[in-house]
Amino acid sequence: MSLTKLRNPGLWITVIAVLLLGLWPIVTQRASTREEIFTVLLSVVLASSLNILLGYTGYVSFGHIVFFGLGGYVGLYLIIVQGWSLWPAMAAGGLAAGLLALLLGQAILRLRGSYFALATIGINEAMRAFINNFEPFGGPTGLSLNFQTYNAYGGAANALWLIYYIVLILALFNIVLSYVVKTSKFGLGLMAIREDEDAAEVMGVITPRSKTWAYVLSAILPGVVGVLFFFKNGNIEPPQAFRLHMSIELLVMVMLGGFGTVFGPALGAVGYQRLRGLLLTSDLFKNIQLAVAGLLLLLIILFIPAGAVGWIRRRFPILRRYLP
Amino acid sequence: MNRSRQLVVLLLLTVLVLGLSVSAVAAQEQTVVIGFTASQTGKYNVESTRQINGLNLWLNQVNDAGGITLSDGTVVTFSTVFYDDESNTDRVQELYTRLATEDNADFLISPYSSGLTDASAIIAEQYGKIMITTGAASDSTYTKGYSLVFQTYTPASRYLTGALDLLASLDESAQRIAIVHENDKFSTDVSTALNDYALELGYEVVLFEGYDSGATDFAPFINKIQEAAPDAVLGGGHFQDGSTFARQLFEKTVTPAFVALLVAPPEPSFSELGEAALGIVGPSQWEPLAQIDASAAEAAGVDFYGPSSADFHDAYMEAFGEEPSYHAAGGYVSGLLLQKAIEDAGSIDTQAIKEQLDAMNLLTFFGRIQFDTTPEAHGLQIGHSMMYVQWQGMADALDKQIVWPPEAVTADALYPIGGE
Repeated sequence: MSLTKLRNPGLWITVIAVLLLGLWPIVTQRASTREEIFTVLLSVVLASSLNILLGYTGYVSFGHIVFFGLGGYVGLYLIIVQGWSLWPAMAAGGLAAGLLALLLGQAILRLRGSYFALATIGINEAMRAFINNFEPFGGPTGLSLNFQTYNAYGGAANALWLIYYIVLILALFNIVLSYVVKTSKFGLGLMAIREDEDAAEVMGVITPRSKTWAYVLSAILPGVVGVLFFFKNGNIEPPQAFRLHMSIELLVMVMLGGFGTVFGPALGAVGYQRLRGLLLTSDLFKNIQLAVAGLLLLLIILFIPAGAVGWIRRRFPILRRYLP
Repeated sequence: MNRSRQLVVLLLLTVLVLGLSVSAVAAQEQTVVIGFTASQTGKYNVESTRQINGLNLWLNQVNDAGGITLSDGTVVTFSTVFYDDESNTDRVQELYTRLATEDNADFLISPYSSGLTDASAIIAEQYGKIMITTGAASDSTYTKGYSLVFQTYTPASRYLTGALDLLASLDESAQRIAIVHENDKFSTDVSTALNDYALELGYEVVLFEGYDSGATDFAPFINKIQEAAPDAVLGGGHFQDGSTFARQLFEKTVTPAFVALLVAPPEPSFSELGEAALGIVGPSQWEPLAQIDASAAEAAGVDFYGPSSADFHDAYMEAFGEEPSYHAAGGYVSGLLLQKAIEDAGSIDTQAIKEQLDAMNLLTFFGRIQFDTTPEAHGLQIGHSMMYVQWQGMADALDKQIVWPPEAVTADALYPIGGE
């Protein structure tokens, strides 16, 4: 990976777009805008991470939220029960998610297509059932954070801003990581697997190892942001940590923006979450917001199945350099 | 000429005085904004809708009565701002932040359920807004160091303990109890506290088992109950599983002398189980049958505030055309408590209202209200108690009766189930 690849204007357009979005609440200092953009940036991290597995490698994971939930649990356990600070707890949450992906990858990445997708749903449900009966993590009651915990970070108001800055940095880091992976030899191997796994193996790609590392890479950051989300939320319970619905929303974001691209998942996350946020708070649509969101998604998927970025890249080849 | 000039001056003066007084009155009116999220979609939709109906009924009644007059003469009326939380926590903090900062809500009401309330309470505390919680029974929300969050419901730790008091009053020889509960946060909190209380009273807990949410086959648990031969079975979870559990107990002819289940029995549709519902006891935050009014307050030695049970029941029936559930009563009382605190404080200042809520000790149609003021559990409800209902009568014409506590009883408890 040469540094010259990092000079690609498309990468920096994506980074600057997300940075500008992230700076908006900081400039305006409006807490409600911060909360809206926090949800968007969280989705950018989750969707971009999923894209490494789904978009580059072609493996559809319906249960990717398991890493978000497990990371959240490990992090909150360390903060609440062991008295750790947020920083090492974030690292531990990411490591736990990565470790789970490493172990699972050995087993389920041998499956292909719908078998793999079904297995990921099973893993999410199995993990939820396990945590529900795992007493150190509070079993079905979950774990709750004392409000005084935020005092170590300058009070709740400062803590919320701190968490926001971290998520913004992670979102930017994830976009660069996605680009680096895509343009590396490792990334080309993943895309070869996506196109034809047997052919990739014949061409010298060590597929089990590549797939496992893609899975691990796509799991670490969801684990880290899981810690941040539940630290901010103040409590964690199995149903909210392992919500299958959220996994499906992530798939929609990736498909909406354009899977296999760097800019697509970020755009999909921003578009999807802003749309949902606007509909939820609009006087006109708030009572029928789910129906309107569903209809819009249906129209987009019917008419631009390759996602927004995929459609633009195909329609305007000249822009491909700017939309990696 | 002089005379007509005098008349004109007099008229002008009158108009001026009238204008000034009208503008003075206008300046003394203030609209207080109450913010909350409602589960308009998702799994809490039914309970949340009833909760909001109750709150809206209170709001309309106060506004129709001309609002509340503060000590400085300002007349306060109320309006609401709300958003759909979709029954999940993803956007609860985002929406409550918006309510607190963009919509300038003066006071907040919690969403329905403990999980959503946990997420929203942080925002209330962070932005210094008083939050009255309703539909949120979990104890843990109030042990996190909050100072502005106040609970209306009896906490989960006391949901089923009264059922054991009832059992003790019915049969001193009953010793063996089985606890079978749904494996979710609320039911586990209730059952763990019940287990502790049972041991404290000297009962032997012969079975303590959890089943997964959404369970439809209770045969393994019923077999264990058969083997353990308890005098009483307590537990359950929510409506669907509780109803199925009661039905399967009946179908397998396993009828312990006493059965008390969470949530399902107080619901009117529970009677559709017919004979399987007969004798089943259930805890309820409030029942229309309970005659709680000023005379009950006098007997208890506290002040009574707000409408009587009967008045609330009739007003709700008229407004919404259905029987009010305890969720609706909880929504109404959350507004009522705010009204009382504002009246007593004579202002809408957060600190003054917090002090009034801290000092509150009264009886409403919903029951006794008093909040814990210790730093360890500030805002936890310590005054309110559960009522216990039981389905009685014939299988095709069941009646719901209050069988505990003694001051609210409407019929003697049927014991043992299936006995003479």
